[in-house]
Amino acid sequence: MSSRLIKVRDREVTIFEKGDGPPTLYLHGFADVHGVAGDLLPFHDALSKKSRLIAPAHPGCNGSSELSNGWAPGDLSFHYLELLDELGLDTFNLVGHCTGGWIAAELAVRHPERVRQLVLIGACGLFVAGEPTSDVFMHAQPERGVDYATLRNVFFNGPQTELGLRWFPNGRGDLDEETRRYAMLRYGSFTGFRPPYFYERSLIERLHRARMRSLVIWGEHDHMVPLAHGQAYAKGLPNSSGLKIVAGAGHAVQMEQPQVVADLIHQFLDD
Amino acid sequence: MTSPVQLYCWHFMSYPHLAPDFDDTQSSGWVTVPNSLWDRQKARGLYQQYIDQLAYADEIGFDGMVLNEHHQTIYGLGPSPNLVAAALTQRTKKGKIIILGNLLPLHMNPLRVAEEYAMLDNMSDGRIIAGFAPGSGPETFNYNIASAPSRDQFWEAVELIRKAWTQPGPFNFEGRHYPLRYVNPWPLPTQNPHPPIWIPGARSRDTLVQIAKHGYCYFLSSRSHGKETAKSVQQFAKVLEQHGDVYRPHRMGILMSTYVAETDKQAQDESREGVWYFLKNCLKGHQRREGRQLTFGPGVPYIPTNEFHDYLKFSDPTTPLLGDTQDWDDLQKSQSIIVGSPETVYRRFIDILEHAQVGHLLIQFHMGNMKDELTRKSMHLFATQVAPRLREDSVKLFGRTFSDLPAAAGMEVVK
Repeated sequence: MSSRLIKVRDREVTIFEKGDGPPTLYLHGFADVHGVAGDLLPFHDALSKKSRLIAPAHPGCNGSSELSNGWAPGDLSFHYLELLDELGLDTFNLVGHCTGGWIAAELAVRHPERVRQLVLIGACGLFVAGEPTSDVFMHAQPERGVDYATLRNVFFNGPQTELGLRWFPNGRGDLDEETRRYAMLRYGSFTGFRPPYFYERSLIERLHRARMRSLVIWGEHDHMVPLAHGQAYAKGLPNSSGLKIVAGAGHAVQMEQPQVVADLIHQFLDD
Repeated sequence: MTSPVQLYCWHFMSYPHLAPDFDDTQSSGWVTVPNSLWDRQKARGLYQQYIDQLAYADEIGFDGMVLNEHHQTIYGLGPSPNLVAAALTQRTKKGKIIILGNLLPLHMNPLRVAEEYAMLDNMSDGRIIAGFAPGSGPETFNYNIASAPSRDQFWEAVELIRKAWTQPGPFNFEGRHYPLRYVNPWPLPTQNPHPPIWIPGARSRDTLVQIAKHGYCYFLSSRSHGKETAKSVQQFAKVLEQHGDVYRPHRMGILMSTYVAETDKQAQDESREGVWYFLKNCLKGHQRREGRQLTFGPGVPYIPTNEFHDYLKFSDPTTPLLGDTQDWDDLQKSQSIIVGSPETVYRRFIDILEHAQVGHLLIQFHMGNMKDELTRKSMHLFATQVAPRLREDSVKLFGRTFSDLPAAAGMEVVK
């Protein structure tokens, strides 16, 4: 299906909308729709079977405009509040992966009254002492100019998986896909490169405000955001249904095991 | 009156005591290269040797000495070039001291740079050339300076420093990154209104526009010089024209490396060890495909996304870089490190000048682990047998092309 561009004040946002039912706002990660893929993936299709899926691209990613006045968590929160205004969405279910999970958590602690239920998948955003997230920027520098094995290992369940090789091939890939990955890393460098590295130190102290029902999902072998972050989210969110660990999956667990993750979410949301 | 090409001695101050198996055992000479390899005993006297070589350059008639800032690398042991510059103010009398440059986003407050450069300008009686740079790939990692957001910060820092030197203080600076209520540096620089400002760039149009707007000098940060160098000059000339200015040779500088000996053969024999130590070790992680190159890759970008798309069309990630050079023939082609007799070196340099019409040559003599006596011999041969010819011929050369222009401004040191 094709995306469309919507205008949010002076910015454009690339967005997918699919399915009917209760609205679910999906905030993407790196190895995900808008991050590497120009189209919805099987996981998003599965989610859209039981809800109205709304999947915008973060500022700078996949054709969305960059922000011109700052990239702090507060700036991104306002960006999404303005997008929600534009869409006329008052309350919604919120699902986020990776940095999308971080923004989802930021929205949930700021506006708990609007988030009906919250799902975080391999989400960064927390500072957990001794458990740093991987340096995605270092791994994005290919060895010998062409080899992205260690970057694939950060996102997937090993350096040479089929999905990893599909989305992060060695050498020069398709130009549009290369550009999309570049945009994603550029977005990453705006939001999470300067210390803090994809975290907001005070977020953990604010989690108590996110009183909606919540679920945390993690790949067993997440090499990007250590499992300890999943445990910290599950512990800090006051109404959490716990941490579900998906065996045999890496950071992009929703790409690697789309049906398993979609089922976990549907079971949770149906509760 | 046309000025001759300015010839400077650039010292990178590499770490020369790596074991012969360095290339086999280490993936990079930058950022992550373990500092357990630093030998405290062998390193004693190293800075003294390098400072002495720079003082020697001044003594034998170079137009100046060039220093730059690098961190956590064997390529250049100059995290604080201002300290070496301070030493040079006391050891030298004539040549310019070019600091190319202080990496502004790495400083807590650029006002400190304005103050230190002003001190150096006073200590050297007006011989400082003030370079400012934003830092590049390695700084992304060793100082957490992400290129994309740091550009804006960099240009604001340059503006703050320029104003600190030219606008009577105290004044209020309403910067986004460096808001300051009382900008009022003591001392002011000796040079009036301020030392010449040089900015390195690698063909980014944004950078050229800023340089053109403010009358700065453009240092092309590239190690290879072929047709691309002439193209860069044309690109800069065009941007200058769009800003109501005109290109002159002394508006631009390039980096060259050379080793001069009595004959071509002797030059190769004497420089072989130093040159290949430099290529294989110092450039590993920087300008070599082997290992993990940190200089310009995805994730440390500053060019906008749409420009990156265009860049991809014309770049090939498998093209060999300078550090991948295998033999002397390869090296010849790169037009980067010129090794030979005085006659050979003269011909190669004048050829580059003819094509590129650049007024400042910043020349690296010491490479890798080159011995002190060889470095000095090469410098001396260059100063006595190559430099005079280059100066004389460059006056004619520049005169032919630029004779109808008014006297060069901006680049000249105003005392």
